[in-house]
Amino acid sequence: MSAIDLVIGPQHPALHEPERFVFKVEGETVVDVEPRIGYVHRGIEKALENRDYVTGLYLAERVCGICNVAHSLCFVQAMEDICGIEPPERAKYLRVVAHELNRIHSHLLLLGVAGELLGFMTLFMLIWRDREDVMDLIERLTGNRVNSAFNVVGGVRRDLDPKLAEDLKKVLERLKAKVKRYREVFAEDPTIRARTVGVGLLSRSRAIDLCAVGPTCRASGVKADVREYRPYAAYEDLDFKLVWYEEGDVWARLMARVDETIEAIELVERALEKMPSGPVRVKAPRTIPRGEGFSVVEAPRGDLNYHVYGKGDVKPDRVKIRTPTYANIPAVCEMFKGGYIADIPATLVSIDPCFACTDRVTLVDMEKGTRRTVSVTELLRRR
Amino acid sequence: MKEEEVVEALKGVLGPSLVESSVVKSGRVRLVVEPGAHRRAIEALKSKFGEVHLFSIVGADLRDRLELTYNLWLYEPKVHVMLKTSLPLDQAEVETVTDLIPGSILYEREVYEMLGVRFRGHPNLKRLFLPEDWPEGVYPLRKDIKLEGVL
Repeated sequence: MSAIDLVIGPQHPALHEPERFVFKVEGETVVDVEPRIGYVHRGIEKALENRDYVTGLYLAERVCGICNVAHSLCFVQAMEDICGIEPPERAKYLRVVAHELNRIHSHLLLLGVAGELLGFMTLFMLIWRDREDVMDLIERLTGNRVNSAFNVVGGVRRDLDPKLAEDLKKVLERLKAKVKRYREVFAEDPTIRARTVGVGLLSRSRAIDLCAVGPTCRASGVKADVREYRPYAAYEDLDFKLVWYEEGDVWARLMARVDETIEAIELVERALEKMPSGPVRVKAPRTIPRGEGFSVVEAPRGDLNYHVYGKGDVKPDRVKIRTPTYANIPAVCEMFKGGYIADIPATLVSIDPCFACTDRVTLVDMEKGTRRTVSVTELLRRR
Repeated sequence: MKEEEVVEALKGVLGPSLVESSVVKSGRVRLVVEPGAHRRAIEALKSKFGEVHLFSIVGADLRDRLELTYNLWLYEPKVHVMLKTSLPLDQAEVETVTDLIPGSILYEREVYEMLGVRFRGHPNLKRLFLPEDWPEGVYPLRKDIKLEGVL
């Protein structure tokens, strides 16, 4: 049978960013994939060279709205690395709280979207309803629901008042019970298992070779989490428990995220309990000296790193950002191979992509030169 | 000290190709090698310390030269290796590492399109992020580039 090119993307209103894949398919089986990314490349690395560090921080946060705390945290840590500034202890704990709240809402968002893509609309709505509680907590802690601008060089911008700390504990306790219920659903529901178990396999050795990151590699048996292997902020004191699965399929990647959500809730609880008192910020210079800084944090989707060249000025000479979805693209291409067309949406959503692609699909028959477009809903119905 | 162990191991393998080596801070090593020796360095790190994770490949235009940094993480000794090599601005060519670390396939394409570094032996050295109508030979992260008329 001759291979047919199946073009998926670049428009996708359901997930967050445009993206295109050209799949070579034989019958219903994917044999090869060619990714095309860059539709929303905004030149932020270049733009950061022309901004001072203070305003650049706000821009860096806008690389990704969903994991904005990871971006600002990583950028300020890289700057603190050059300057040799150590933030106060309380600030480190507050950074953990904001970072983990960010992770909780990001994972809940993905788990909801996964429910929707698998045809489980109730789960999507329930999870997104509960996600709102976390968004409200983030707003009360940082002043904003999404882009929080919480981290600054030398500490954090706002302190946590005792009333909010109490409310955080209350809301998170309620949320934990709900997430545990969702864990049962993801673990046992026959519909979810039928669509995810054994789908989109990635072996441990391929995950290592392809430098997969985050829950994507941890679901393939790689015990690598920045919070564990290179602790930053206050993680060293918080008794972090690494979540990992060895199945390497879509199911394991979703389960890893459910478990990480529970672990993130517990991390916030432990951080609130052990949080020392004291200042939340030290004064930092506006000028960053000549030198190189590097920082890596565990963003919700995997390790995120910033490499900053300072030139003794208010502006950096070069800022390199490596985002986790970018790192996972070679791995997701591997997962598609050998799978069915109908499994493309589930496989793609399992890496929690920060781009989009699967809603509009064009089928191209290379021999006849025909082209037809189908929607993802139709693609799902074709099963 | 695990950091010194990494430096010593590389000194033994690379000899004079290792231009500069230092322990920057706890858990981080900075190694500067001659162009072309980076492959031997990565091979040595893989054979001595087991699994290696590539954080990123960073290209920077330092005005008199291009600097490539391979940010590598060694899982076992828990050391971050900043492996650096310098390339001349007018002839920026270097051997690929895609056969040693398959995960570097997109990172090399990005450095190629943004800074014009050609990776010899890369299986598919095409542009990655830039639009299709972007002119040839305009590398946006080079310092001397004028983007007026391009954008």
